[in-house]
This record gives sequence, C-alpha cells and structure tokens, in this order.
Amino acid sequence: MTDTSTTSLGSEPATGGSAARGARRLARRWAPAAALSVAAGLLVGLPLAVLLRTALEEGLGPLLEATASAGPAIWATIWTSLGATALAVGVGALIALLTERTDAPGRRGLRLAMLVALIVPGYVAALGWLNAYGPGGLLDDLFGVAAPALVGPLGIVVVMGVEAAPIAYLIVVAGLHSRAEPDLERAARASGASAIDAIRSITMPLLRPVFAGAAAIAFVLSVTSFGVPAVLGIPAGFTTMTTRIYRDLAFSSDPASFVRAVGLAIVLAVGAAVIIALADWLLERRRADRSGVFAGPIGHMGQSAPGPQEEGAGRRRVRPRALAAGAVAWLVVGTIVIVPLLGLLSTALNRAPGLPPGPSSWTLDNFREVLDPRTLEALGNSVVLAAAAAAGVIALAALAVMARRGRGVGLTGSLLGLTFALPGSTLAVAVLLAYGASLRNTLLIILIAYLAKFWALGYRPVAAGLDAIPADAYRAARVSGAGAWTTMRTVVLPALRPMIVAGGLIVFMFGLHEVTMSSLLYGPGSATLAVVVLNLQQLGEVGLTAALALVLAGIVTLAALPLLGRTGVLERVGWRR
Amino acid sequence: MTAPRSRLFIIAAASTAVSLAALTASAGAQEAAGEAGTVEGAITVYTSVTQDTVDAVLVALAETVPDLEVEVFRAPTGELDARIATELRTGGLDADLLWLTDPLSIQRYEAQGLLAPLEGEAFEIVPEAYRGDTFVGTRLLNLVLVSGADVEDPPASWIELAEAEGVVMPDPGFAGSAFAALGYLATSDDYGFDFYRALKDNGTVVVQSPVDVVNGVAEGVYKTGITLDKIARANVANGAPIELTWPEPGAIALFSPAAVVADSDDPGAAQEFQAFLVSPEGQAAIASTGWQPVRDDVEWPYEDTVVSADWDELYGSQAELLEGFYAIFGD
Amino acid sequence: MTPPRRGPAVEARAVMVSYGETPAVRGVDLVVAPGETVALLGPSGSGKTTLLYAIAGFLPLSGGEIVIEGSVVSSPTVSLPPERRPLAMVFQHYGLWPHMAAAETVAYPMHRAGVDKKEAARLASDLLEQMRIGHLAGRRPAELSGGEQQRVGLARALARRPAVYLLDEPTAHLDTVLKADLQSELAHRMRADGAAAIHATHDVEEALAVADRVALMRDGEVVQVDRPDDVYARPVDEWAAHLTGPASFIEGEVAAVGADGAGRYLVRPDWARLDGPLPARVSDVRFRGTHTDYRLETDLGSVLVREPGPARLDEGAGTSLAIERVWRM
Repeated sequence: MTDTSTTSLGSEPATGGSAARGARRLARRWAPAAALSVAAGLLVGLPLAVLLRTALEEGLGPLLEATASAGPAIWATIWTSLGATALAVGVGALIALLTERTDAPGRRGLRLAMLVALIVPGYVAALGWLNAYGPGGLLDDLFGVAAPALVGPLGIVVVMGVEAAPIAYLIVVAGLHSRAEPDLERAARASGASAIDAIRSITMPLLRPVFAGAAAIAFVLSVTSFGVPAVLGIPAGFTTMTTRIYRDLAFSSDPASFVRAVGLAIVLAVGAAVIIALADWLLERRRADRSGVFAGPIGHMGQSAPGPQEEGAGRRRVRPRALAAGAVAWLVVGTIVIVPLLGLLSTALNRAPGLPPGPSSWTLDNFREVLDPRTLEALGNSVVLAAAAAAGVIALAALAVMARRGRGVGLTGSLLGLTFALPGSTLAVAVLLAYGASLRNTLLIILIAYLAKFWALGYRPVAAGLDAIPADAYRAARVSGAGAWTTMRTVVLPALRPMIVAGGLIVFMFGLHEVTMSSLLYGPGSATLAVVVLNLQQLGEVGLTAALALVLAGIVTLAALPLLGRTGVLERVGWRR
Repeated sequence: MTAPRSRLFIIAAASTAVSLAALTASAGAQEAAGEAGTVEGAITVYTSVTQDTVDAVLVALAETVPDLEVEVFRAPTGELDARIATELRTGGLDADLLWLTDPLSIQRYEAQGLLAPLEGEAFEIVPEAYRGDTFVGTRLLNLVLVSGADVEDPPASWIELAEAEGVVMPDPGFAGSAFAALGYLATSDDYGFDFYRALKDNGTVVVQSPVDVVNGVAEGVYKTGITLDKIARANVANGAPIELTWPEPGAIALFSPAAVVADSDDPGAAQEFQAFLVSPEGQAAIASTGWQPVRDDVEWPYEDTVVSADWDELYGSQAELLEGFYAIFGD
Repeated sequence: MTPPRRGPAVEARAVMVSYGETPAVRGVDLVVAPGETVALLGPSGSGKTTLLYAIAGFLPLSGGEIVIEGSVVSSPTVSLPPERRPLAMVFQHYGLWPHMAAAETVAYPMHRAGVDKKEAARLASDLLEQMRIGHLAGRRPAELSGGEQQRVGLARALARRPAVYLLDEPTAHLDTVLKADLQSELAHRMRADGAAAIHATHDVEEALAVADRVALMRDGEVVQVDRPDDVYARPVDEWAAHLTGPASFIEGEVAAVGADGAGRYLVRPDWARLDGPLPARVSDVRFRGTHTDYRLETDLGSVLVREPGPARLDEGAGTSLAIERVWRM
C-alpha cells in the first residue's frame, strides 16, 4: 500500500493534479501574510524609512546639533513623564486594590468612573482642570481658591498622571486576577495573616512585575502625550518634545526648525521603543509569560475567572474602615473626573470671562456659535476618519490572524507591539515626509497615520483571543477534514469575532478624539474636531473651547457605549461578575 | 465559496476599500480643482483674520459678486506661515490670495517675490501708509488698554503702563498685533527698550494672544493689559467686568494686508476679491464685526486716534526686535 | 469520673449563603465533632466550596450562624476575619505563593502566629520531612509537581495547628496513584492531630475512604448525613444512591436481605452474584483489573454485578443471578 510520505493531517494528497490548483493553494496560504506585509510597509515601513533618510540627508552633524538645541524640551519630557508615571501607578494601584480586594461601598461606581476617565481625551481633561482649578476657574469663582501652578510643568505632571491612571488601573486589575489570584490571598488569610498583612506579604510581591509593566506603559503614554502639554504647557512657554515638534512644524517656517523636528521625532521613537523593550525584558525574566508588558487590560481577556465572589451577599453592616476607604476613593474620582467636567460646563455656559458662575451669566450662545458649518465639517471628518480607521483595523486584524495560522506569537505580534509604542508625533512627521508631496491636506494622509498608529491597538484583544484558543480546537478541525485556510475561516475567525469587533470599536473611539497626528497633518477642509478644539484653545476663546470640548467628550462617550455594554469585554477583565 | 461567518471580514475589507477610494477621489478632486481652475471664479484664500470677519465678508461677497467662489483656510499667523513655508518647500503654494493680520509677514512674502503687484484704481482710496507694492491694508487693528472694572485709576497712556502693577501683554512672537506694539514702542525715542525693562521690573506677565489678555483681566488674574480694540469691545458688550481705555497719545495701529499670489491659477478672480475687500460693501462688512475700516467714507463710530510705527523701517529689523524682547522677558 | 464532653468543633446552623440574589447554600445544618472528619460529597455546583468558604470566613452569610468551638464566628451581623478563626485550609489548586520556596511557605503561618524565626524554620523543616519532601524545601511551586505542591499545601495547613481543617477537593488534580497516596496521608494526619476536618470532594471513593461521616450535598442543601457504610448501603433517595456508588434498581419481588414484598429496590454491584435463581442475559462485560463488571438484564430490571477476577462470560450469553441484598427506596 502506497503512502503519501509527507502527510500532516489535512494536507491534500499529492494527486498529480493541476499545477494551477497547487499554485492557488500556495497563493492562498501566503496571501494574507503578503497582504499584511504590504500594508505594514506602506503604513509604517515606508514613512519610517523616509524619516530616517531625510534625517541622514540633513547630515548627522546638523541633526545632532538641532536635537541638542531642544535639550530643555527633552529634559522637560523626561521629568514630567516620570512624575506623571508615579502618580498614575500610585493612584491606579490604590483604586484597583480598593475595587478588587475590599468591600468598600460603591465599588461598581468607582470602576465605571475609571472607565469614563479612560474615555475622556487628555486635552479635554487638561481643559477641564484649567476651567475647574485654574486661575479664574470654577473653584476660583466660587471659593476664591485656585491651583497656582496648573499652567506649566506641575499641571502637566498632574493631568498626564490623571490621563494615564485608568490604564494603570486596568493593568493592575488584570494582574490581581491573573498573577495575584484571590486564592493566594485566601491561603494567607487561612494561615493567619490579616487582610493588610496578606496584601503586603503576598499580593504586593506578586504584583511587582505588573507594576513595572503599568509604569512602563504609563511612562510611554506620558512621553508621547501631546494634548496635555499643548493645553497646559504652550501658554506658559513650557515645551516638551511633542509640543516642540508641533511648534517646529506647524508654527515655524525656519528650515532649522524642521531639522530639529525630524531629530526629535526620531529620539522620541527610539526612547519609547527602548523603554518598552526594557520593561518586556524585565518581565520576561520573572515569568514565562509571553505577553510581557503588553499584557494590558484589554489583552488579558480569557484569563482565569476570579473565584467565588466576595461581594454583595446581603451585608447589612459595613465596617467603618471600608466606608472611609470608599469615601477617599470617591473623593479622588470626584476631583479627577467630575469637578473638571463641571468646570468645563460652567465656562461653556458663561456669557463672558470674568462673570460669576451661575444662572444669571448663562447662555447657550457658545454652543450655538461653535456648532457652525466649519465645525460640523470637522465633525464629519472625525467620524469618517474614525470609522474608516476602525474598518481598516478590523480588516488588518483578520489578515493578521490568517497570517499567523495559529502558531505562536511570532514576528507579527512583536512588530505590532512595537508600532503601539511609536509616538504619534513621530508617525505624523514620517507620514508627512513620505506622502506629503502627493497627499498633503487630504483626509487620506490622516487616515494613513491613524491606521499606522491604531493598528496595534485594535489587534491587542485579537491577539489575546488568539492565544486563548486551545491548540485542540485547531486539531479537531483538521481531523474533521478542514484544511488550514478553512480552519481559519470557520473555526478561528468566528471565535474571534467579538474580539475583532471590540478592537474596531476601540479604534473608532480613539480615532474620534485623536489630536497629536491630526494637528500636524490637517489642511483646508480636513480639520478634525479635536484640531478645532485645539485651535480654539490657542486663540484663547475659552467659552467656545469649553463648549466644543464638551461636545467632543459627549460624542466620544456615545461611541464608547457599545464597547462598554457588549462583547463581554468588561466581564473578561473582571468588571462584571 | 464564502461561509457566512466571514461576512464580517468581507464587510470590513469592503468598507475600507470604499472609504479609501472615496478619500482618494476627494483628494484628487481637491487637487484637480486647485490645478485646472476650470470653474470660473473660484479661489483659495489663506487667512489669519478672525472667523467672524471672514464670514461677514463672504456673506457680503455673495450678494455683490455672486459668481465668485471662495474657499477659505483659516489659521493663526504662526501656523499659517509654517503651512505656507511647507507648501513652498514641497511643490508650490495652493493659495490664490493671502489675507493676513499684520504687515510684516506679508512683506516677507513680497521680498521673496511670491506676490503679484497691486493693480487698479480701486486701491487708491486706501491711505499710502497702509499700502505696499503688492499688498493693501483692509482694516486697522488698534492696540488699546483694558483694565478690570474694579481697578481704581487705570493707566490712561502708554507711559503710565510702565508704572502700573498687574500688567499683562501678548507675546510678539506669537501675535502679529503684539509685534506691532513692540515695533512702535521699542523704536520710539519716547519709550524704547527701557520701557519694556520697566514693565518687566513691575512684574508684567506675557501671555500668548490678545484674547488671553482680556480673559485674564476679566477673571481678575491681572489688573491691566494690552489688547485689540475689537476684542475688548466685544467682551464688554457681553458683560465682562472690564473697561476699555483708549490710551494717550493714541492706540497703536497696524493694518491687515491682502495680496494676490503671483503663481495663482486665477489671478483675475483673486484680484476681484482683493478689490472687494477695500470696496464700500466689503469695508462695511468688516466694520460690522468690530474692526476699523481703512476707508474713511465708511461709518466708524468709535475713536480713531492712532499712532503707528514706520513699517518700512520695521521690515528689516524683525529678528533684532524679537531678540531684544526675549532678552528681557525670557523665552 | 467521666471527662467533660467537649462541644462540637464546628457547627453550622441554618446557614444560608447567596451570591447577590442567587442562593448557593440554603439552610444547611451540620455538626462536626472534635477529631471527626466529615466529608462533603456532591457534584460541582452543589455548594460544597461555598459552604467551606463561608466556614473559613471568605464569604458572608445571608442567614444562619457558624459556630467554631463554641463561639459564633459568622452570622448576618457578625463576621470574624479568617485569620482569627482557628482553622487551616488546603486548596484545590494548591494556593501556593509563586514567589516563596516551600520552607518559607510552610513557615508562613508560624510567622503570623509570632513564632521565633529560627524555631519556625526548624518546625517547617520537620513538617516537610514528615511529608517526605524535606529535600524540596528550597524549591518554588514552579519547580514542584502537583503531588509535591499539594504536600507543601498540607504541611502549611499543619503548621497552623488549627482546631479544624478545611480541605477543598485536595486530590482533584492529582493522578490515581497520588490520589490514593494523599488520601491515606490525610486520613493519618487528621487522626494523629486529633483535629476536626471538613473534606469537600466530588469523588465518592475518596469521601468513603477518609470520612467518619459523609454529608451529601445537592443544590446547596444537605440531603443526608451518615457514616460511610450507611450512606453506601442505606441512601435516602435514588439521587443519593447514584451519588454514593454504582446503583441498579429492580422492581418486583425478590428473596434477599432487606426485601419486604414487592417494591423498588436498590442493588449494589457487590450485593449480587452470578449463578443464582434469577435468569439473566449479559448485555455488557467490562474487565477492570481487580474485578469484572457484568451488566445483566433480568425480568426485574438491569443489574450491575461485580465479581473479582477476569471475565468469564461473553456479551450476550445467558446466565443467572442471585440477589443477596437490597435496600428499599
């Protein structure tokens, strides 16, 4: 009996049939990977290559000189980001312990508040803080109290910290469920440790890598943050790397500034990549966990579910300590999220600056004025771009899944991880250099930047979902007669559909409020809503800015609702039990 | 044969393709419209003039010159300059007409040979001081003093400002109007850079724009500031607790120039727009939004005693002046 | 003089535990005497782990009380924290701390109790020796097999010297050989210690092997509490009968111990033997090493018979059957 020598299950026997069929098969196997490579090349590879080439064209000498002249900006970025990271991880971890390991009342509301803080973009938060706590802000008008140094580096540290805190929170929550499982704490309690003892001796040591990961991500987020330093730094003359790039490209016609922008863009990208790689390596050493630093909140779906729940079983008596802890947490959330929003609202409704807040000064004129045809055009642009980016990311994610063919993390995963760390400023400069000549001032060039930046973001949940599919699922399909391609199509992709859709929704939400790249790439008729907000703020139109910022925040929240409600994202992260 | 489950992927891929196609088409259309200039009387204007003034002018234009289509791109001066520089670097200016907020930037472009010469009699009604070879002033921006309503004895002249406390002023590197003030005060024998040193010694704060000045004074963060007349008046009208003081010996004036781009695809249409800006209808529209017109046969109910720098002299010394300013106030 | 009788080690009185609106334990009454091992036997979802966690203090009660050594530790208004209850726990998934070596882990409860560091280290080392894994004292969980990990977990519980041991499916993830091993180990330890133990399991053989009494749990309720042979030979209903061993049911009259006229009777595989007055046909034969199971179809019903040794009948063969003992349902 003859046998087909090579057989692996599912490969078609070599029946000397048509070479065409063989070629088609080959094409089908490699098509996704090829398409993916082309997309990656166009979106990321080419722009980065052009960026490097432009830099080299200027000559290493002038480049270094120009970059060195931005020394103060580089230092400013580093130290404000360090401060913001400490704040973000501290606040995030504290609130995470509170919502996941205590029985403080109002935990569900706290979790929701953290999610809301995640949705509100950084520059809107900065505007909110300014309008709430800054000189002439809500608190100033009501009580005569204002935070003096809000405009400037201190304010940047605080608001960037607040911007990154929800991400740190989600990462620690995921860590509490996977690396520091509740059972381990129970074992400590059953061995005689008090609650605090158990957290100190068991949970904290286990969370060290989680904290490192959260810190790394918070740091990169802060370093690449543009909206907050733009709103709080530029008016005070305090420049960070991202705002330096912006001012050099968008505000200066001096060729030397252009060189400096290019140099800074490269420094920013290299710095971010180094931090992420370092954090990944540190985590790799501790545990055999492939996902490393990017085991982010959304990436941790499919992890072990939390054990029997310890909440809401008809408690009638609440311990005073828990009550106090809950109160403190709510105070923190109120300060960070609620009061700034109120500040924005107050300014948006105010007829003119300097008038005391209250119904006598209220008018809807700011809203009316700001929602003019130009703004509506910008809104349309934002929606179209965000939707196109989401659709594009979904398609790319599906391609990536098919290209991986069920094998390990591989090159795709790592590369995508790297593009996640690519700063928006750098990407915008690179895309501008690569495609500016032909696509300048179009929506398309902005879309390219969005796709390059958000691709990794949308792929994260998919990658995690892919990891969660047990190897046996593939084997069962093959043994039932499905080839590799069919397995992908009928078993893997449908299983991943919720993750893919979640990824798309996430991208849509982020695309709506993106400002870093849009502000560098927009042109006549292609401004996005975020850019209009930024421009209004720079013009000093406080009322209009506040009104439009609120509208923007409202739209983004609307866009986030389906994400919050569906696909069990929240369940998997342990939000709903 | 596609299974129903891969519908999602198909839909996603298809919609991406469609969006890409649509965006490319619109990009192409934009370019085509820019290049071919096939539509009679369609121009692109780059401007840093305030949006409400632009809107008023466009409305008046539609009534007077209905077959002229104008696409406007508006950005603050610095940003506009950068955009123009980038476009020049990468293939050519898309604009047909530049309508800016201060004479210096336009003069730079004139020196680079980017602008078409002023032609026609329509411009002769504009005083010579507000005209150049290629550009014509379309309105006057007057720098005035604004003080909190509760401030006793607010400064009434430029000299008095140097002795006042709680003063705020806009940044000449950011706002063209602020630069006009710098140009006048720093080069004048009566004031000079000593004036600025005195301001600095008295704790004067520099903010970005004239609007920021008004906000700060209205909120009570500062007592007095230098800002533009229109902005102050608009806020007073809205009820902000501030007062406008017309300073002695006069407000510092600068003019807002408009010039046709030499490489324009439709210079005739551009010139028509330029002429409209200084026509009675255009000037009336501009005045209706609170800016002083350059024509004196257009109604202007407010004060108009102004002083002005010698712009020809200023053109060459811009960098010097800014350096001097930042040496005193820091960057 | 008779020594004073000690009160129960653990008492659950009408205990109710709910997750939000859903009750998981409904009105459980259970008494565990000092030195006694009670097995909680039931399928997954029956509430065994929930009850255990409630006794440990990890879950609050929505009704009833839990009393340990005479003091109320849990009630809807009172909840003594776990660390202050005189108990120790062995977890299903071992619950070992990834960052601690075995010796440290075992010493942990002693540290919490204030024992001197050196003394604790010595005691921990002793315990590990007793578990025959003394040579693994420096290893972390990642470097230990399942059986070794569970031994460390057991040593840690022993180190606490509690009045009550709570064991949550301790052998669930071990293979057959290790299972049996650990079951013996546990039984000996508990006896030597003289402490009470509550042992939750879904494995009936384990329950019967380790317990002094077995409590059957279904849907959050205790259905029957009896000594192992009682629970095996005299189950309270058919569900319990299925739970506690292979169960066959016959309808009719039969001459056997426990028979009482016509009725429905339980027949255990060891209560019947081949070659008897009842005609039967073999419908299934399974050789299981130590014994062979024969499924026989009779007029009264289908009966599983277990006989030592290899199979001596083929499927489909005609044979006969003697039922020696039954239990009326």
